[in-house]
Amino acid sequence: MSQKIRSLSVNEPLKSTQLDPKFKYEVAKEPGGEGLGYCFQCGKCTATCPIRRVESIYKPRQILRAALLGLREIVLSSDVIWLCATCFSCTERCPQGVKLADVMRAIRNIAVREGYIHPFFQAQGKMISEIGRIFEDDEFINEQRADLGLPPVPIVNLEEFKKILDSTKIKELLASKGSK
Amino acid sequence: MSKNIRIGVYVCHCGLNIAGVVNVKDAVNYAVSLSGVVIAKDHRYACSDLGQALIKKDIIDYHLDRIVIASCSPRMHESTFRKVLEAADLNPYMLDMVNIREQCSWVHIGEPEKATEKAKDLIRMAVVRSKLLEPLTIKEVKVLRSVLIIGGGIAGMNAALDLANIGFKVYLVEKSETIGGQMTKLDKTFPTMDCSICVEGPKMVDVFRHPNIKVFSMAEVVSMGGFVGNFTVKVKNNPRYVIPENCTGCGECAEACPVEYPNRWEMRLGTRRAISVPFPQVVPLLYTLNKDHCIECYKCVDVCGERRAIDFKQETEEVELNVGAIIVAIGYDFFDPSTLKEYGYGSYRNVISSIEMERLLNAAGPTRGKLFRISDGKFPKRIGFIQCVGSRDERIGQIYCSNACCLNSIKLAIQIKEKHPESEVYIFYNDIRAFGKGFEEVYRKARESWITFVRGIPPEIKEDNTTENLKILVHDQCLGKLVEFEVDLVTLAIGMVPQDSARPLSKVLHIPIDSDGFFLEAHSKIRPVDTHTAGIFLAGTCQGPKNIHESVSQGKAAASSVAALLSKGEIRIESTIAHLDQDLCIGCDLCKEACPYDAVRTENGKSFIMDVLCRGCGVCASSCPEHAITMKHFTDEEVLAQVITAFQG
Ligand SMILES: Cc1cc2nc3c(=O)[nH]c(=O)nc-3n(C[C@H](O)[C@H](O)[C@H](O)COP(=O)(O)OP(=O)(O)OC[C@H]3O[C@@H](n4cnc5c(N)ncnc54)[C@H](O)[C@@H]3O)c2cc1C
Ligand code: SF4
Ligand code: SF4
Repeated sequence: MSQKIRSLSVNEPLKSTQLDPKFKYEVAKEPGGEGLGYCFQCGKCTATCPIRRVESIYKPRQILRAALLGLREIVLSSDVIWLCATCFSCTERCPQGVKLADVMRAIRNIAVREGYIHPFFQAQGKMISEIGRIFEDDEFINEQRADLGLPPVPIVNLEEFKKILDSTKIKELLASKGSK
Repeated sequence: MSKNIRIGVYVCHCGLNIAGVVNVKDAVNYAVSLSGVVIAKDHRYACSDLGQALIKKDIIDYHLDRIVIASCSPRMHESTFRKVLEAADLNPYMLDMVNIREQCSWVHIGEPEKATEKAKDLIRMAVVRSKLLEPLTIKEVKVLRSVLIIGGGIAGMNAALDLANIGFKVYLVEKSETIGGQMTKLDKTFPTMDCSICVEGPKMVDVFRHPNIKVFSMAEVVSMGGFVGNFTVKVKNNPRYVIPENCTGCGECAEACPVEYPNRWEMRLGTRRAISVPFPQVVPLLYTLNKDHCIECYKCVDVCGERRAIDFKQETEEVELNVGAIIVAIGYDFFDPSTLKEYGYGSYRNVISSIEMERLLNAAGPTRGKLFRISDGKFPKRIGFIQCVGSRDERIGQIYCSNACCLNSIKLAIQIKEKHPESEVYIFYNDIRAFGKGFEEVYRKARESWITFVRGIPPEIKEDNTTENLKILVHDQCLGKLVEFEVDLVTLAIGMVPQDSARPLSKVLHIPIDSDGFFLEAHSKIRPVDTHTAGIFLAGTCQGPKNIHESVSQGKAAASSVAALLSKGEIRIESTIAHLDQDLCIGCDLCKEACPYDAVRTENGKSFIMDVLCRGCGVCASSCPEHAITMKHFTDEEVLAQVITAFQG
């Protein structure tokens, strides 16, 4: 992913017209988003997050803050919500039981419905729908697996797999605009 | 002389507090070398059981007749060590304490050698002084089993009930028309959210009906004399122009009265008649006529008729009370937010104070519990609370935290959200202080109720000229961005300030107030309800901002201190007082003018000192041109001997 990741892009001062106070209720209704309100902004999640250590733009606490304030478009269209690796470190450490990794997933699900998917995930999705994998298999991988005593990568039954994929409506989702 | 003098010197380590800086062994060796010193020892904790036992044993074994203890401040342990002397049959005044902790080791941490030299100097000065000490007679006086409580808020009422239930006679002096204090203005109370007047009302009635309690409402303390166990207090009863015995509380007069004036209980939101009660649950249930607003139409007199309860000629009365102890519980006042121009309180109609929000939400309040904007009567869908208004603000000299406003705003916000889930409530704060039992739970409940907490205090409020909506620009510290909020109503979380009457009352009672204007306790941790004057105690918010449960606890604590003091029937009074030699007195009266406690009297052109009134401050002695006054235990000889040896080395 060579593209530069952008933080929550906010022009100051934010006006009250940019705030959608209902957004917090929307997130809380989405499965996984229930704990959002309990966040008291201690920042343990950001400090414990392994992604944050390699990418300083990723601040989970700040994303929750923006969601609580109602910066709906800014949050949903941002790159940062896609950076979570769902390692659950934050969920483990949060003193208020926010279950942040779940909240982040809930936010991403809303983003997807609104037509925002990060280009990287779009590319992955395209790859899956075409070849049934998120990467192309090559001889090198199978040689390595053989060295480890593992069988070769199984062949995907593309016909059947595509049937399943079609029922998930992945095509329509992938046709959406992608995150800004 | 020195052959009868047998001094024991004890140097305390105070753990490492002293021994970490001062070379204690060195100081002990030095002390032994001083003339008159029979024995000198060090101890890790002289005040401990072991330390006390050691000193007592030495007094007996070595026939010591004077003790010097080099340790902490006499304020901490002088009484402890005096008791040790007494237990060993030595007069308790044959003790001198040297403060080598606060005045030596703590202030010279980086200079152990010099500190040790200073400790030695101080010990030598005390040894020299101790040779001049004289035994003083110990006086005991009888105490009265009656108590004066000033202020009938929740703190004062709790103290009154506890003492009255034990059997003490209690006089409760309340300045306003009713007891109950500020709690009578609150709607619900955190953390339990129960209705304020429902919890307090029955207590008010209990106090008033208690056979051992006499309530003086509309009354003030104007003078105080005497001393612990035997105070004489003058109380002024201000006229309410209604005769208590005749008033039935029917309220017909108020209905007949044509004049209205602002009701202080409703802040800026309600009015009352010139003859009225401020709210229905007043105790005592007596109507009050306000002469500043009365137009003397006498309609009230007509409807009152045969009951003849209204008396335009009623006058101020003074009563004298004799009491053994006094509890001060005069509470607090609300900070006036109009002093902070940036928030527009007083000029923007939709900026109100938290106590006004309290009244707006109260079913018995001016709007019968309906929340609407003053400007247009519309329901405010977006409400902002601004915290710390009048608190933690060096600019206006209000440096302290007011303790209750965080939880109070959270409480009000939850009430609003419960009644109006469609509203949006913002709380602009810097720190949320939810420190008490059950408080954090309320804070969490607030977030569960989707109240938006914004960390950042707005520098100002701007009003939209047409809508009268309010714009609040704040730096959201958690987002790291400036955000401008538009709300329909702003509530300023005002802090607590001392009562106006605190300062004058402090003069009447001769007790100090602190730099914030609240009454000063004897020790913030271990004597929180005592004052420096024996027999006078503090309770509730007059000592500093508190919530209700803390105010109640203090009321009960003060009651127990009073009971402990007065139950014995007799108490010992301080013997370190002034002594006046009438042969030298020229009757100039300078001492009489100087004495802050009115302890100097004149008879046949000569002054004399009332032992029981004297507090030993020494002001008279320094004012006397004839050196006729000696301070017992601090005689000129004693002090000069110390000074001389200090400079001679
Ligand atoms: C806006 C606001 C909301 C609050 N809400 C809550 C809450 O929900 N829960 C909670 O726990 N705490 C709350 N508090 C704190 C609570 O009000 C106090 O802790 C409590 O009322 C203090 O009681 P008190 O007896 O010390 O003083 P007060 O209630 O002030 O009573 C003092 C009494 O002394 C009288 N008096 C004053 N001067 C004199 C004088 N010179 N001579 C004789 N009498 C005098 C007064 O008239 C008054 O009756 C709130 C405070 C504020 C500012
Ligand atoms: S750790 Fe939990 S409470 Fe703390 S900022 Fe993160 S989500 Fe909020
Ligand atoms: S209680 Fe809260 S709002 Fe009140 S002064 Fe303290 S920190 Fe500020």
